[in-house]
Amino acid sequence: MATKGGWAGKVLRVDLSAGRIWTEDTIEKYKDYLGGTGIGYKVIWDEVPAGTKPFDPGNKIIFAVGPLAGTGAPSSGRTAITTLWPTCWPKPLVASGHMGGHFAAELKYAGYDALIIEGKADRPVWLSIADKKVEIRDARGLWGEGIRRATYEINQLMGPEACVATIGQAGENLVPMSVVMNSVSHSAGGAGGIMGSKNLKAVAVRGTGSVRIAGNKEDWEKAIKLHLSILGANNQHVVPNSPQPWAEYYSAGSRWLASKGRRWEKSNPAIETGSCDPHHLNRIAYRTNNAAYFLGEGAWQYTVRGNGCTSCPIRCHTLIKVPAVAAKYGIPEHGQNTCGGLNFGRAFFKTFPDGQRGQTAIEACMVGMHLADDLGIWNNYSQVQRDFIKLYYDGTLKGKLGEKEFKSYSWDKYEKGDPTFLFELLPRIANKEGELGTALGLGTGYHLESWGIPEEEWKKEHSLQYWKMGHPKHHSNEDAGQCGVIINTQYNRDAQCHSHSNFTRNGLPVEVQKRLASEIWGSADAIDAVGAYTPMNRAKAKMSKWSLLRKELHDSLSLCNWMGPWVASPLKERGYRGEDTLESLLYSLATGDKKNRDELDQVAERIFNLHRAITIRDMGTKEMRTRHDTIPPWVSGDAQGRPSLTKGTIHMDKEDITNAMDMYYEEMGWDKATGAPTALTYRKLGLASVGEDLKKKGFVP
Amino acid sequence: MKEDKIPDRPSQHQGAADIIREKSKTGQIVSAEELFLTLRGEKGSESEGAEDSVSPEALLNKVMAENKDLREVRTKEGCAFYYSSMFMSETYARLLLCKQEGPIQLVADTVREDSDRYPRPTPLAVFKEPPFDLSKEEILSCLQEMSSRVEYQDISQVSTSIGHVFLYSTRHLDRDYALMLAEWIDVGQFENP
Repeated sequence: MATKGGWAGKVLRVDLSAGRIWTEDTIEKYKDYLGGTGIGYKVIWDEVPAGTKPFDPGNKIIFAVGPLAGTGAPSSGRTAITTLWPTCWPKPLVASGHMGGHFAAELKYAGYDALIIEGKADRPVWLSIADKKVEIRDARGLWGEGIRRATYEINQLMGPEACVATIGQAGENLVPMSVVMNSVSHSAGGAGGIMGSKNLKAVAVRGTGSVRIAGNKEDWEKAIKLHLSILGANNQHVVPNSPQPWAEYYSAGSRWLASKGRRWEKSNPAIETGSCDPHHLNRIAYRTNNAAYFLGEGAWQYTVRGNGCTSCPIRCHTLIKVPAVAAKYGIPEHGQNTCGGLNFGRAFFKTFPDGQRGQTAIEACMVGMHLADDLGIWNNYSQVQRDFIKLYYDGTLKGKLGEKEFKSYSWDKYEKGDPTFLFELLPRIANKEGELGTALGLGTGYHLESWGIPEEEWKKEHSLQYWKMGHPKHHSNEDAGQCGVIINTQYNRDAQCHSHSNFTRNGLPVEVQKRLASEIWGSADAIDAVGAYTPMNRAKAKMSKWSLLRKELHDSLSLCNWMGPWVASPLKERGYRGEDTLESLLYSLATGDKKNRDELDQVAERIFNLHRAITIRDMGTKEMRTRHDTIPPWVSGDAQGRPSLTKGTIHMDKEDITNAMDMYYEEMGWDKATGAPTALTYRKLGLASVGEDLKKKGFVP
Repeated sequence: MKEDKIPDRPSQHQGAADIIREKSKTGQIVSAEELFLTLRGEKGSESEGAEDSVSPEALLNKVMAENKDLREVRTKEGCAFYYSSMFMSETYARLLLCKQEGPIQLVADTVREDSDRYPRPTPLAVFKEPPFDLSKEEILSCLQEMSSRVEYQDISQVSTSIGHVFLYSTRHLDRDYALMLAEWIDVGQFENP
């Protein structure tokens, strides 16, 4: 190996068709792509030709982590899963899903930076990885079981320390809207069916090794302390959500919920979070309670504790215990998840008898988690729930379903917000039962197509949050205006980028945000106050590029982009600055490969441009600006007729957005007319051969 | 008078600083009067007939000069309160100071500060939470009184789609913008997680 630490050194490869298992040298083949999505894109570019379909044996699924996974760096528990995405419409293209939990560290401790799976087993199997001992094992006894049962059965065989990533019935049935889930609640949406198509029920990993740190111990510990000191709460919100004695600022929108008197009531004994002064690093885990954030004050009475990923002190998966649900619904009284997973059941309903934050809504969350996290159903950033509500209330469902099927659902229960309705709906999605269950499992694009509903109808309506290619927006113009719009044009699924939104939602007053913005992106004009957007400018283009590159960097290093970047902090003595060189500092110390911020950002740019190149190749066109980077009409229309770029609206001006895309393409070194990288850009980023391949096909401007 | 004086000894200086810091640790500011009452309670026997006594003001000046973390804030009437910046922010101290001046001033100052600085409207519900700790009746009474007094005519209300009331100051936010921000805080951010 050319470096001293960080990487485990080997990539594990498995061909399920041939039953072959072998390894490759990570550094030799993938070092220039770091890990995570970098390795994933490299494999898809090199080995999965255009025209391959997601469920073909020739498609590959890459579970990859980066040099920081398993090092103990905060928020380093993410595994990137890259493959051809089955919900990407009208043509599946490359994309990635990201699961937290414990898989990433365990894979490194077993000695691997990535696991690349290809082919298709001739019967259901699961993959057992116990350090160097890797076996393809019979899964016929597990096939048909849910995620919890499969996990526990495999843990019985491999021991409780093994991390099990498995699919439920949805994945087995090749439902595109299905997940891979490890540690029973940490999921990567969209990839479950890929495993199912390979007859692969689960991958279980147990590692007894360690990750070597190249730098000296004192420097590493200093870097970790720095990272911990600038952490906020979930989503890097750096102010508390209510006034605290230590805090200069607070924001009702913050996920930093800790306060004197707020208690995890279902802990035994109950635990008070306290005020959580940011200097008390051993109390970081008390700051966040996502159950209370999403479900309201009533959730404190059910909170057991925060749970989460390896070496992450944020604990965004809140474990709740709701005793009433055991007798009422016949489900376990414990549940845990975060954000969309926590809200899975509740989000299907328009109303509840006691409101969106009442007891019934909490019970709907419990039922939803119980079913979805066992059957392995994905929510596509809650698009499936928004689709369902729209289709029911506008009468489409009644028209599309046969009378027998329509009557087989208890719509009276649904309208009343009765969580038992979920027992009728969710298993049918997982099992592809009936017209409705099958259609919802396809993902929005294919669902609309199969029912003859033009995609344009979905693109018109802001409340549906639909963006393009079968997927919703994910932090678009409501977060950072033009920057959010640009980011949402770039991927082949929802953008999953939090670099910009974690900054704009951090809770600091706009004057402080602007001061930080001027230091990071060269001008205070990079950001605006929420809903007070100003015209596009160069600093916003720089922020857009930075946001995307940091996302890819995090996805490749195994840092969590749901938490980072860490360019703001809760520390007054730092002027609320975070540390923009944190990633390069951790990377250099862990690996021994010294790179400064700009050098590491350039590696991220290589990775991001490779994603662009695969997309161009597989779409068969260089016309990305008009055919890929599209923006739905709702972005530039205001329901109340307020002019764009005025206070009180998040809606964008069409001409200004055209200008925004021009500036962004310039920053990226891409051709403005097509939105495709130029030959020079490919060369500068070390992707000359990629550029040459595309040039031969006429895909380089 | 002898009773108004207090011994000027290092132990007294330290005692005063400790009282201020301890109060700050528990989220409280302390008035000069309370500070000296506590000091006298603790050191009552020592102050009897002490020759090196000074006025409370003089002692406080010395304590403040010796302890750079200690800060003073004053009400509009000039009453002084003390806190330690090691354990309390100026924002929080001023908020507690406003509380001393009554709920109307507390609500108005908080709303104006939020509208100006962040900018954002203020959820009415926040005033039920610590350290505001106002009852529903007190909040309603504040709103009623503010609506009838000329000096509070800039304090206005908007309601979100789920019926929650937010306050804002028209000196800093116009109604449309306040409404949009209130809807974002109350509904939008949860629908766009």
